[in-house]
Amino acid sequence: MADKGNDPAVIWQTMIGELEKGFNSFANHAMGTPEFSRLMNQAGGVATGAQKQLGELMEKYLVSMNLPSRSQLVGMAERLQSIEGQLNEIKALLGQINRDAGNAESAAAGKPRPPRTKRPPAEKAQK
Amino acid sequence: MNAPSMNAALGNDAASLAERIQSEVQRAIQRSIKGVEYFSTSGPALGSTPKDVLASRGTMQLYHYRPVADEIYRVPVLIVMATTNRGYILDLVPGQSFIEFLLKRGYDVYMLDWTAPKPEEKSLRMEDYVLDFIPDCVRRVQQDSGETDVSVIGYCFGGVLSLLYGSIFHDGPMKNLICFTTPIDFREMKLFSNFADRRYFDVDRLIDSVGNMPPELILSSFEMLRPASRAASQVQLWDNIWNDEFVKSYRMFDRWATDTLPLAGDYFRTITKDLMWDNKLYNDAMSVGGRAAKLENVKVPLLHAVAEHDHIVPYEAARHLIARVGSTDKEEVILKGGHVSLVAGANAIKRLWPKLDSWLGQRST
Repeated sequence: MADKGNDPAVIWQTMIGELEKGFNSFANHAMGTPEFSRLMNQAGGVATGAQKQLGELMEKYLVSMNLPSRSQLVGMAERLQSIEGQLNEIKALLGQINRDAGNAESAAAGKPRPPRTKRPPAEKAQK
Repeated sequence: MNAPSMNAALGNDAASLAERIQSEVQRAIQRSIKGVEYFSTSGPALGSTPKDVLASRGTMQLYHYRPVADEIYRVPVLIVMATTNRGYILDLVPGQSFIEFLLKRGYDVYMLDWTAPKPEEKSLRMEDYVLDFIPDCVRRVQQDSGETDVSVIGYCFGGVLSLLYGSIFHDGPMKNLICFTTPIDFREMKLFSNFADRRYFDVDRLIDSVGNMPPELILSSFEMLRPASRAASQVQLWDNIWNDEFVKSYRMFDRWATDTLPLAGDYFRTITKDLMWDNKLYNDAMSVGGRAAKLENVKVPLLHAVAEHDHIVPYEAARHLIARVGSTDKEEVILKGGHVSLVAGANAIKRLWPKLDSWLGQRST
């Protein structure tokens, strides 16, 4: 086989790795300054404000077009999620009642729960 | 070197070069075919270990994984996931699932996973997480398993929440605590500290305008810690797209890393003000809902696993945990790997999982 040191694929991968490390280290140094924090938070504040305004405008537009807005869809999803949550609670309760009633079968898993008798391997070996 | 051996060496080099060119041409063809496949197929199904949802309320989701061993340890295990990410990182695919590993080793496993807070849940506070969600899940685990004792495993910020819970409810029922990469000294998370510099970062203004902390902002702040890594990993993906195993692994981790959850607004305010700004956990001044949360009150057996190359929670931020807790039975393990490879993937299978099993097994009877 060709010498790994001359293998173009290996050289390429090493170069990418070194570039990544070098850039990360340079950027981390720059991002550790108070000036970076000030600029980042200024820019972030402006972008967030603009995004919020756009969202509000879109909501009004969709209402005027007689289309469901995002918040209405989120509301629907929430109701479905709450129904799903209640079904899960009922399922868990039924499983519990089934176990409390002494049935060997667990309703949820469809098979009996194993006994809680396991010992760590080291302890077993000692015995 | 004599003439015949020189000729033989030249012949070998030529054959090797031809082999290399042939292999590169084959890979180039494979790249084109697999590249198209990559965009037309979805990744592997994640989080598929059979489980039942025991409770779902607010952002809390409690799962119980169905036991697979013939006998299980007496003490059940509750995993508390980090609030910014989904729990399926601990349940990737069969053979690479921490949950599956625990089940096969005979643990009864529950997970407190989180869902995205809805807009009207922006007022969920730290109190809701530490004094309501976690105790509620612990109660449900007790009820479901029929056992009083519960071991808790917290990953990253899930570890912080578990510590806060354990320091407030120090009379039980937590029997053992395992923390993975859990920050204590938030000043040492240097870039995050700088991003959240109180002179420039107006957390109240941000949360008042957006409600919940958007996942895009959380993801960007994680990615900014290593700004070149995303581009470099895409180059690596292209290089290795002929390799199915590499692609599968890339897709699993990439999907999880970009599947960031938003954080409830008021909860994020507390994280920023109490932990990032005032470093209250490290300064022993943390309280939740008026109840002091001192690390010295945690007295249960504790294992802290930290990663040598963790760029999110550097060792300097995590190292104080062992010294600060009141436990007498406590251990820190520093393992090779990063923030995610510590708990999932090939490294974790060899290093963390067996270590955790031998530590926890002895304390689970």
